[in-house]
Amino acid sequence: MTTLRLASAFILSAGLAGPALLPGTAAADETCMSPYMTKISGQEDFVYVWTLGMDGVGDEQDKLVTVAVNPSSPDYGKVVHTLSVGGRNEAHHAGFTDDRRWLWGAGLDTSKIYVFDVHSDAGQPKLHKVIEDFVAASGGVVGPHTAYALPGRMMLTGLSNNKDHGGRTALVEYTNEGEYVATHWMPTDDNLQGAEKTGQYADGYGYDVRVLPRRNLMITSSFTGWSNYMMDFGKMLKDEEAMKRFGNTVVVWDLHSRKPEKVFDVPGAPLEIRCAWGPENNYCFTSTALTSKLWLIYADERDDWQAKEVATIGDPSQVPLPVDISISADDRLLWVDTFMDGKTRLFDVSDPFHPKQIYEREIGKQINMVSQSWDGKRLYFTSSLLANWDKKGEDDEQYLKAFEWNGQALEPTFAIDFIAEKLGRPHIMRFGSYALYGQAPAASATTELARRD
Amino acid sequence: MKRIFAAAAVVLLSTLGAAHEPLPPGYGELGYALPAPGSYRLPPLGRAADGEVLDTRGETRSLGALLDGRVTVLSFIYQSCHDTSGCPLATTVLHRIRQDTAREPELAERLRLISLSFDPDRDTPEHMAHLAHNFRFVEGGSDWLFLTTASQEKLQPILDAYGQAMMRERGPDGEETGDLAHVLRVFLIDSERRIRNIYSPSFLHPDLVLNDVRTLFAEAGPDPAHAPAHTAHAATAGPGDDKTGYERPDYRTRSLSLAVRRGRPMDLLANLQDPPLGLPPVPVPADAPVTQKTVAIGRKLFFDRRLSLNGTFSCAMCHIPEQGFASNELKTAVGIEGRTVRRNAPGLFNAAYSAPLFHDGRETRLEHQVWEPLLAANEMGNPSIASVVEKVRRLPDYRGLFEDAFGRGPDMETIGQALASYERTLNCGDSPFDRWYYGGEPSAIGDAVERGFAVFMGKGGCVGCHLIGPEHALFTDGRLHNTGIGYAASMAREPTTRRIQVAPGVALDVAAALIGKVSEAPPSDLGRYEITRDPDDRWKYKTPGLRNLTLTAPYMHDGSIATLAEVVAFYDGGGVENPLLDPSIRRLDLSAREQTDLVAFLEALTGRCDDLVADAFAAPVGDASADDPPWWE
Repeated sequence: MTTLRLASAFILSAGLAGPALLPGTAAADETCMSPYMTKISGQEDFVYVWTLGMDGVGDEQDKLVTVAVNPSSPDYGKVVHTLSVGGRNEAHHAGFTDDRRWLWGAGLDTSKIYVFDVHSDAGQPKLHKVIEDFVAASGGVVGPHTAYALPGRMMLTGLSNNKDHGGRTALVEYTNEGEYVATHWMPTDDNLQGAEKTGQYADGYGYDVRVLPRRNLMITSSFTGWSNYMMDFGKMLKDEEAMKRFGNTVVVWDLHSRKPEKVFDVPGAPLEIRCAWGPENNYCFTSTALTSKLWLIYADERDDWQAKEVATIGDPSQVPLPVDISISADDRLLWVDTFMDGKTRLFDVSDPFHPKQIYEREIGKQINMVSQSWDGKRLYFTSSLLANWDKKGEDDEQYLKAFEWNGQALEPTFAIDFIAEKLGRPHIMRFGSYALYGQAPAASATTELARRD
Repeated sequence: MKRIFAAAAVVLLSTLGAAHEPLPPGYGELGYALPAPGSYRLPPLGRAADGEVLDTRGETRSLGALLDGRVTVLSFIYQSCHDTSGCPLATTVLHRIRQDTAREPELAERLRLISLSFDPDRDTPEHMAHLAHNFRFVEGGSDWLFLTTASQEKLQPILDAYGQAMMRERGPDGEETGDLAHVLRVFLIDSERRIRNIYSPSFLHPDLVLNDVRTLFAEAGPDPAHAPAHTAHAATAGPGDDKTGYERPDYRTRSLSLAVRRGRPMDLLANLQDPPLGLPPVPVPADAPVTQKTVAIGRKLFFDRRLSLNGTFSCAMCHIPEQGFASNELKTAVGIEGRTVRRNAPGLFNAAYSAPLFHDGRETRLEHQVWEPLLAANEMGNPSIASVVEKVRRLPDYRGLFEDAFGRGPDMETIGQALASYERTLNCGDSPFDRWYYGGEPSAIGDAVERGFAVFMGKGGCVGCHLIGPEHALFTDGRLHNTGIGYAASMAREPTTRRIQVAPGVALDVAAALIGKVSEAPPSDLGRYEITRDPDDRWKYKTPGLRNLTLTAPYMHDGSIATLAEVVAFYDGGGVENPLLDPSIRRLDLSAREQTDLVAFLEALTGRCDDLVADAFAAPVGDASADDPPWWE
């Protein structure tokens, strides 16, 4: 672990090698990054927003939007670059490779993967490559979701398949260069692949992936198939057949052999997984979208992995729909966004078995992703869940909003209206920094690179 | 080495984040049990690149040649590196591997260790020789080479090929500190020069690396990936993702893997020429003859997802073979980009006999009908006929097929004929009812079915619309009727709450106002009226055939009824009262037993469809490939 500072940026090379490193990826924010990747521990320069094209807005295409977020930048709080990729793909999640040079933006609809070069100029990402044949190469996996960095390669979670557009799916591995490596199907009842079905469910569904290398653990969650995540949210809620097709499982895997070990019942669509950072904290959180619960996946006193419901989020009868969570670098706090009421909630998770809500604030009429800086002081929120799940009419606000957390309250710093700016529906956010690549901001006089010590 | 460790400790104390960051496992115990060598796969990660390197004597060597014939562990290092999680770790682990292999000469012989510097300016061959000298004390063990390069120019292509990005660090005044920022990657390379694993500090450990080395050596034996994991068969009836009983707390999954969804081709044309028991001769238009070749093209087109605007949809995404060529997973269909389709995807078994076509009866020929989903903006979304024809014309895997089958290339007529040809073979009869009624097998059905048949013919009056002939039966009058379901959907008030299943055995009553916030305005559906503009045709829909109903839930034109028992109860209650209700729909006052018997009868109408489904499983699914041509110039 070493740090670098360029101007005001810090880089934290967690668990990697050499004094500094390059980037990685995964589901949400700096504290959710792959442990194999360098972290930006100081002031980030950019937020990259993987944005869905929106009918009737601007060029209607998916695009990577780059926002300057360093207060020292003359462009602070402004969009400094957009890169349209052609078509709408249901842009959703994106993640860096382990060297943080490439950002993989996946499309849940078309299953295309856009590989952006973020290292040649951190402020001007370029489209490097498009992986068009993900479905064919993987043997029928549809809907690449999480792009998670492993050393020299990317682990992509699928959400669906090309046979029935349902939820049975697989993990798919690629090299950093974009070459297909392997498909790992989620365990199903007829082929648990040696895993233990600990409860009633083994649905074969997928969503997010995280790893705890020191425990040789990989962990996956489960959402729903293409038909559901693509259709109008209201239509789906009224379709009793569709509502039966959500994931109710979390699977823990042997990371090294990629073999599933235990299938846990976690009912109600467990989505994002966030693992603790402390070297003794062998646990991860996930939240269930439909049942509004926080679950802990943890190693018990005998070192066996277990799953336990540990808290309720809001009033489940009102379907607040927790969609994203973000853990602080010290493992003490967990932000939880609930789509339907537009709120973010802060839980004290210092005792991970007894999370307590300590703060909440409405961010907008709808909310989806949250990303926090490594020091926990800056939080960024976006609004879009899925193209056809977002609210309709006046409630369909589309924004990136930045806040400072002062320990007591969130104070707004800037906001960008993604419809007024003709951009679309903003989804995942990833942080960029000049210091990662030994670059200096073009307009800045401070070009020195300093060791933090 | 001592000096390096001391310098690194200072850096370690300066870290952010967790107050105490432990040393990487490579310096100590791994901390977990490894899977048995050979019990897992290490899929190739690409080719290990060649390059021009220098050995400790300063002689030029080919890196590629050094990799050939042995398993290699390759580590990029530089000698002035301080980071305990970096180069010193890699060198320590290689040293420990060498120590371990000293006890296993047979393994040691087949393994080579390489430390390659990425600092040619300072790590000269002499410096590398000095480093090698530090490790000279191990007796035996695998060969360990310490290599460098002649210059940055010689080094850079190697770094690029191995994805080893590197950045020179600078001090406060912009001067180079001599530190190189890089991601530590150690490569495992097999004897055929393929990269098989890439290690980072969090799991770079001698035990783990040697476990992988042994796994590579075990590859001569049976491949665990190809070992028969299980012998389950693909279910040809019902979704592999069975959700029956999901409403109940005791629900248990019975999911099937997609890998077993494999089938075998059948002679589809024979199924048209000699249709199964209970079905009449298949009507084939004189201008659209069906041949083995036209069927084969139609089958290929049917499963080709490239035939939609954005490559996500084939006919089979809504007409799923094991779900009766319908969809059990949705009440009403969903098209490209998730767009709303108003009606339930109808099953395609026996579509050859279906006239008219669509729930509102707006088409009369399959050749015409198949174009509508291709062109509908909310189904497959193609913007024009030309866009479909051009795609088919340009796809290399269709080259020559149309010319061979039709005497001309793909066009609106031949594409329509090909798809219709395939659909005309999907004939499924020979049900228990057929064997009893037409086949003269008294034991083909039980008493309940026979009693149900009596209700169907008599008190229920079902046969008035669902016709049965003396030699065969399609169970439809081919006409359109108002049952009131469409009327209710258009005219009834919305409930204030709606029960929503959020997990097995867990349902919530959710306010309609809340659902409304995330709902598009539901499209209206006026049925046959939309075709004829005759007000009397409002909410009329086609009488469906009743064969293979057990495969095609949910039911009715909008999928609004989940089970056959509920369908029977609906008709027993006389449908939904409305001014245009079909006069043949009236209260039936069937007893509970009569209703159960009627369901038993309907269930006896499911034929032997397994071979058709297995054939569909064997059909290739068309997905976008790297070789696809551009669709437009």
